[in-house]
Amino acid sequence: MDIQFAGEHLLPGKLGQFFIILTFGSALISAISYYFATVKDTNDDSWKRIARLSAWVNTFAVVGIGASLFYIIYSHYFEYNYAWAHSSRSLPVYYIISSFWEGQEGSFWLWMFWQAVLTNVLIQRARTWETPVLTIIMLSQVFISSMLLGVEVLGLRIGSSPFILLRDAVEGPIFSRADYLNLIPDGNGLNPLLQNYWMVIHPPTLFLGFASMVVPFAYAVAGLWQKRYKEWVTAALPWALFAVMVLGTGIIMGSFWAYEALNFGGFWAWDPVENASIIPWLTLIAAVHVMIAYKNSGHSYFTATFLVLISFVLVLYASFLTRSGILGETSVHSFTDLGMFGHLLTYLLVFFVIAIGFLIARWKDLPITKKDEETYSREFWLFIGALVLTVSCIQVIATTSIPVFNAIFGTKIAPPANVFQHYHQWQVPFAIVISLVSGFSQYLKYKNTDPRKLYVKLVMIIIMAAMITSAFAYVADVYHNVMYVILTFAAVFSLCCNVPFLIDALKGKWKLAGASIAHIGFAFLLLGALVAAATSKVVSINTSGVGFGEEFDKSNNAKENIILYENEPVRMDQYTVTYKGDSTVGVNTYYKINYKTINQTTRKVIEEFDLYPNAQQNAKMQTIVASPDTRHYLLHDIYTHVSSVPLKTETAEHDDHTGHSADEGYDQPATYEVALGDTIRYREGIIVVKGINRNATVEKIPLGKNDVAIALTLQVIAKNKTYEVDPIFLLKAGNKFDFGKAVADAGLKFRFTNVLPDKNKLEVMVYQKPLAEKKWVVLKAIKFPFINFFWAGNILMMVGFLLSIFRRNKEIRVKPEEIKEIKLQSK
Amino acid sequence: MKKSSIVGIIIIAIAIGVIISTYADSSTYGSFTDAKESQTELHVVGTLNKSKELIYNPKVDANYFAFYLVDKQGKECKVVFSGAKPQDFERSEEVVLTGKMIGNEFSASKILMKCPSKYNKDKMEVQEVEHTAALNR
Repeated sequence: MDIQFAGEHLLPGKLGQFFIILTFGSALISAISYYFATVKDTNDDSWKRIARLSAWVNTFAVVGIGASLFYIIYSHYFEYNYAWAHSSRSLPVYYIISSFWEGQEGSFWLWMFWQAVLTNVLIQRARTWETPVLTIIMLSQVFISSMLLGVEVLGLRIGSSPFILLRDAVEGPIFSRADYLNLIPDGNGLNPLLQNYWMVIHPPTLFLGFASMVVPFAYAVAGLWQKRYKEWVTAALPWALFAVMVLGTGIIMGSFWAYEALNFGGFWAWDPVENASIIPWLTLIAAVHVMIAYKNSGHSYFTATFLVLISFVLVLYASFLTRSGILGETSVHSFTDLGMFGHLLTYLLVFFVIAIGFLIARWKDLPITKKDEETYSREFWLFIGALVLTVSCIQVIATTSIPVFNAIFGTKIAPPANVFQHYHQWQVPFAIVISLVSGFSQYLKYKNTDPRKLYVKLVMIIIMAAMITSAFAYVADVYHNVMYVILTFAAVFSLCCNVPFLIDALKGKWKLAGASIAHIGFAFLLLGALVAAATSKVVSINTSGVGFGEEFDKSNNAKENIILYENEPVRMDQYTVTYKGDSTVGVNTYYKINYKTINQTTRKVIEEFDLYPNAQQNAKMQTIVASPDTRHYLLHDIYTHVSSVPLKTETAEHDDHTGHSADEGYDQPATYEVALGDTIRYREGIIVVKGINRNATVEKIPLGKNDVAIALTLQVIAKNKTYEVDPIFLLKAGNKFDFGKAVADAGLKFRFTNVLPDKNKLEVMVYQKPLAEKKWVVLKAIKFPFINFFWAGNILMMVGFLLSIFRRNKEIRVKPEEIKEIKLQSK
Repeated sequence: MKKSSIVGIIIIAIAIGVIISTYADSSTYGSFTDAKESQTELHVVGTLNKSKELIYNPKVDANYFAFYLVDKQGKECKVVFSGAKPQDFERSEEVVLTGKMIGNEFSASKILMKCPSKYNKDKMEVQEVEHTAALNR
């Protein structure tokens, strides 16, 4: 029985699904045609024409998928699972973009899109490399597009389509109703943590990085396949640099997002998902160095080829880790499993086999030198540097892969209890070696160098570096730990070695400055990361609360959160911190935290600023999602986030109830006997008995002859406001009545209950509202010294890569003799 | 022998050292009983006992959070964490603790939560059942 569902928009989904099939099909045709264009030695280029045409159709179809999906999310068609699961009506347009890639399908699309863009660039520019290189890239496109297919073949579901309907994706009784859409007024919305502008640009950058890693891989395979063993290195080098630069930028954006928007309390947490992105980056950085070594000396051919090949395999391994659900309980933020375990594994294995297969098949032909490198040669140390980077990468892989190890061998090993200590015990020594090598190898020439001249130069630099190190270690307070001092020295040494080259560059040799700028950036990055991570200090130490007094165990018992009551200043480090209230904008509640530095002797305020850490309150779930706010200085940051706040819903309900009954919501009244001119003290001020009005009237109650209505005029002097109020006492037909009056603003209510002529006193009852729950926040504040070195170092590194890309790209414009060589080979 | 081969061998030796260290540093998953016996840091996986109170009163101490967790063997234990209550804690389905036993309380240095996915099928059903019931009334 088919139900005719009302209000569904099926066209965009059908169109989208058609584009998915078209993407898959055109990628397949293109890959096959490029393959035949490569292997068939024919004069007409018909295969190539078909391949190009299908590649263009592929690009068009990929854009079509994106447009259909965007249209669905943008129009709030919640009949589609993807729109329902990842967006909501209240989402602003720029976050619709980030909801686009919150799910796995969207991020696969992104990858596919970039691969299509790169394909078009390569069609224009790759010339003789086009057919073999694009055979590989199109094969990769076939695999990624198959992840979106969502079709069943022989009972096996292949891929997961973003165009699946909600009623097909989710089981539920409402889907038996034809008008079920009326019951789904809104989508689930975007994870609040992703509602950050960094999440709009971080994923596209990261995926451009991942996608562009396939290009050097494809060149390496093409080189082996076509037996153009030497040429591919030159052609692939700018692409490798491009991939390293873009992926590096993407990783740093993620790190900055974590720092700015998540309350992880840092910029790098060694989380498996973060590690997965850095693993291929490390190997490709290593690859770039040995590629340069090979180009200039003929050494390290195998290392260069192997590293380029393995880098892309590791990209696939990283996707497998984050997308297959295997990380399970070791990571906070991997994707949920979509049942693509085997599919992802196949993709990984196919490319692994291609890489290893070509290496083995061509092993005997590889131009591996039999000569030994000189110790005082640049190529030798480039090789050493690359190997150390590789080992550093192996260390990260080994620990990150613990869940994989468990899955293969059925063991139950848990990750190290102290993650930071575990990684740092290895990564700090590696960083020291790498940064020392990146320094002195600048003074080495290819082939050989005169050791005497080298040592003369280095001695000067070492003395200078030692001086700067001692000063810096003292200022930055890292001299307590020997490893930190050595790392600081290594980074400063690298700086001192590279800066002279930068100065040369500024004199006009811009072209050659890429490497030294990148190395300077790396040195700054290390310094910043070292100091910020090693000396970051929680400034919100709770000194007033109930403590255990066990200060020795820092990791466990440091009282790192502090409670602040509204308008009650608390001292924290050098700051006097006050919680000044909150305001709600949309879903976010911003807590205004005022920081003041006060000179202890003159009591003058030296500096004052406000921070607005925010929390999204979810009334239904009774939870908050907190985001920090940070005050940036040149040399340090003050980072603040709320750890706990009173939940809004509770207080709101409270207020509702108080309005119902007259005396409800007030404390037990106090009864006073007063005379004119008396004052009554209450919790927040005084009440003055001003006078009485014997001719008061009460609305709607006519007064008889013997009836008396007396109003008592009371003046309430609260903290900074005065109010007048006149409760009435009524004597009607011998019966006593009274009409109380309230001062809502002051939380008071008065009843004039009796007149006591014999005492010459008046009886007043004072009702007071209970002390309002004082507003409070629990917050954590961390000082990160020298963190700007980290960010600035990263930016410098990327600039260095960019300059190197320009330089290496020029080297592709082949010299005449090489063109001859190519012609000879092709004959 | 080529110099690079020697270096290569040294590097491989270091790499093996790295891998051994990974598994030497690695911790184990265990139960509260194991934690009590071994007195070392380990990981305990369990579920939050939602019928018992979560103790977090920032006005008294903003850095004291305690709750009751039932480990995979069904043993319940009070867990103490020096810090603020993690966001979303009430919703957690499964909790992974890192820490050790101190007396009869498990002192956690790290808490990792698995929250039910927003897109959980069961929850979708529950929500919708309520929805239709309200409309039929």
